[in-house]
Amino acid sequence: MTERVGFSVARVGTIAANTFTESLRQKVFNILLIFALVVIASASFFAEFAFEEDVAVVASYQLKSIKDTCFGALSVIGMLIAIVGTAMLLPNELENRTIYTILSKPVRRLEFLLGKYLGTVLLTFVSVVLMSVMFLAVLTFKEARLSQPAKAVVEQTESPVEKQKAQEQVAKIRAEAFDPAIVKGILLVFVKLCLLAAITLLVSTFSTSMVFNVAVALLVFFAGHLVGLAKEAWQAQPLLVYLLGIIPNLDLFNVADDIILGNFVPWAHVGKVTGYGLVYLSGVLAAAHFIFSNREI
Amino acid sequence: MDAIRTENLTKKYNLGWRKGRFLALEKLNLRIPEGEVYGLLGPNGSGKSTTLKCILDLITPTEGAAWIFGVPATKVESRLHVGFLPENPYFYRYLTGGETLEFYGQLCGIRGAALHRRIEELIELVGLAKARDRRLAGYSKGMLQRIGLAQALIHDPRLLLLDEPTAGVDPIGSRDIRDLILRLKQMGKTVLLSSHLLAQVQDVCDRIGVLNLGQMILEGDVDQLISDQRRLSFTVEGLPAGGRGQIEQAAQAAGAKVVGVEHPQTTLETLFLDAVRQDKRGAGEHD
Ligand SMILES: Nc1ncnc2c1ncn2[C@@H]1O[C@H](COP(=O)(O)OP(=O)(O)O)[C@@H](O)[C@H]1O
Ligand SMILES: [Mg+2]
Repeated sequence: MTERVGFSVARVGTIAANTFTESLRQKVFNILLIFALVVIASASFFAEFAFEEDVAVVASYQLKSIKDTCFGALSVIGMLIAIVGTAMLLPNELENRTIYTILSKPVRRLEFLLGKYLGTVLLTFVSVVLMSVMFLAVLTFKEARLSQPAKAVVEQTESPVEKQKAQEQVAKIRAEAFDPAIVKGILLVFVKLCLLAAITLLVSTFSTSMVFNVAVALLVFFAGHLVGLAKEAWQAQPLLVYLLGIIPNLDLFNVADDIILGNFVPWAHVGKVTGYGLVYLSGVLAAAHFIFSNREI
Repeated sequence: MDAIRTENLTKKYNLGWRKGRFLALEKLNLRIPEGEVYGLLGPNGSGKSTTLKCILDLITPTEGAAWIFGVPATKVESRLHVGFLPENPYFYRYLTGGETLEFYGQLCGIRGAALHRRIEELIELVGLAKARDRRLAGYSKGMLQRIGLAQALIHDPRLLLLDEPTAGVDPIGSRDIRDLILRLKQMGKTVLLSSHLLAQVQDVCDRIGVLNLGQMILEGDVDQLISDQRRLSFTVEGLPAGGRGQIEQAAQAAGAKVVGVEHPQTTLETLFLDAVRQDKRGAGEHD
C-alpha cells in the first residue's frame, strides 16, 4: 500500500556533498592545508646544502630529502585532516540537532552514516590531491635547478665522453625526480587515511565527545604503527599475536621509505595492501553501522 | 485513518551505569485523526519532546509502539509524509537559507526546477526573502525557527510535528507562526505541536493533551475545555459607579440592562494549573 523507500545512492551523495561543503567552509582545514603546502614548498630550501662533487649524487641526496619531507607532511597533515574531520561529524550533528531534521525525513541511518563518511573521504582526497600537486611542483622546480649544471655541460662541452656522462646525469636526475613509484606511495597513504577516518567514525558512533574521538583515533594510529614490531617481538605467544590482529597494521601502508631509497615496490604489493585496507575498512564501517542503527539520538 | 497513533508508549532513559533508569513517558495512548491540530502541553521535562522523538523513531520506546498513517514508526516509510521541526533548531551554520532548503529538498528526492520553485514558495511563505543568501550563522532565533518550518514543509508533508515552535520567538514572530499553522490546517494538514506556553497555542489547536511527569493528565477539545460550565458571566452596560457589589441581586433593580449572558472562557493557563494541582504526584520538572 505505501511506497517502499529503498537504499538511495543519491541521498548518500547529497549528505556527502553537504558534509564536504561544511568542512571546507570551516577554517581549520584551510589552515591545516596551507600549513601542509608551506611545509612542502619549504622542503626545497632545506635541501640546499651538499658536499659532494658529483652533480647526480648531490641531486639524488636533495631529492631524497625533499621526498622524505613531502611524504611526511602528506601523511601527518592528511592524518590530522582525516581524523579531526571525521571526529567532529557526529558530535556536531548531535549538538546542533541537525541529525533530527535529517533522520526524521525518509532517510536511512546507513545512508546518513555513509554520506558522512564519504564526505570526509572526499575532503581527505581533495587535501591529498592538493598536497600531491604541490609535491610535484616542488620536484619539477628542483629537478630543473639540479640538472642545470649537467645540462650546461651538455650544451658547452666538446668532449663526447663528458657529454655522454652529463647526459646520463640529466637522465638520472629526471628519473629520480619523476619516479612513478611516488604515485604508489601516495595511493597507499590515501588508503591508510580512509581507514583511519573509518575507525574515527566507529569511535564516534558510541561517544559524544569530539576530543575522545580524536584521542582514541590517535591511539589507534600509534598502535597501528607499532603493532608490526610488537608482533615480531611476541612471536612466541600466538594468542597475543592473534589479539594484535585486531589493530590494523598501518606500517604496511608505508612504502614511502622504499620508494625514496629507490627499492622496487611492485603493483601486486600495492594491490594487496589496498585490499587489506578496504577489507578492514568495510569491517569497521559495518561495526559502525551496527552501533549507530541502535543508537538513541 | 489516524495520522498518529501510539499505544502504551513508554520511555525509560538509561541514566548510565548503576544510576538506573528514568521514566520520562508512561503508557501514552494518542490518537490524532487526519486534519486535526493537536497541542501537546506540559511544563519543561514533562515528556513532550520524548513523545515526538519516539514517534519519529529517533529514540526507541521501552514499551509500546507508534504508527504514522498506519505505518509502524520503526519503518523508514512512516516518515515519507512527515515534516519535523525540532526544539531550538540550529542547522548547518555554514549554509545559506537557500542552500539549507536545497539540501533538505534533495534529501526528499526533489530536484531541479521543481525544487527551485518549492524553495521560492517556502521562502516567501515564511518571510525570509531578504535573508535567503545569508549564512545561518547570522540568523536570529526567530529566523532559524522560520527556516526550520520551511525545511519541515519542503516535501509538502501531510503531517507536521512541531516541537515548541513558538518558544523563544518574539510576540510578532510567534503570531506569524500561529497564522502559518492555521493556514496549514486550512490546507488539510495534520499538526502535532508541543508547547509549555499554553496561551500561545489555545487559539490554533482543535484538541489538546496535557502531560505532566510523563503522564497524560488531561485531554479534550479546546472549545469544551476552555468553556467553564459552572459559572455564568453577565456583560452589563451602563453600570453606575459603586454598583459593582450589588450586581448579582440588583443588576436589574439598579436599572442596568443585561445585554448578554454567556459561558466565560477560562484560559488554558488556569485550566492547566488546576489539573496539575489535582495531580498528586507533584508538578513541573523532577530531578
Ligand atoms: N537522553 C536523556 N537521558 C536521560 N534523561 C532524559 C534524556 N532526554 C530527556 N530526559 C529527561 O526526560 C524528561 C522528559 O524530557 P523531554 O521529553 O525533553 O521534556 P519536554 O520536551 O516536555 O520538556 C526530562 O526530565 C528530561 O530530563
Ligand atoms: Mg522539549
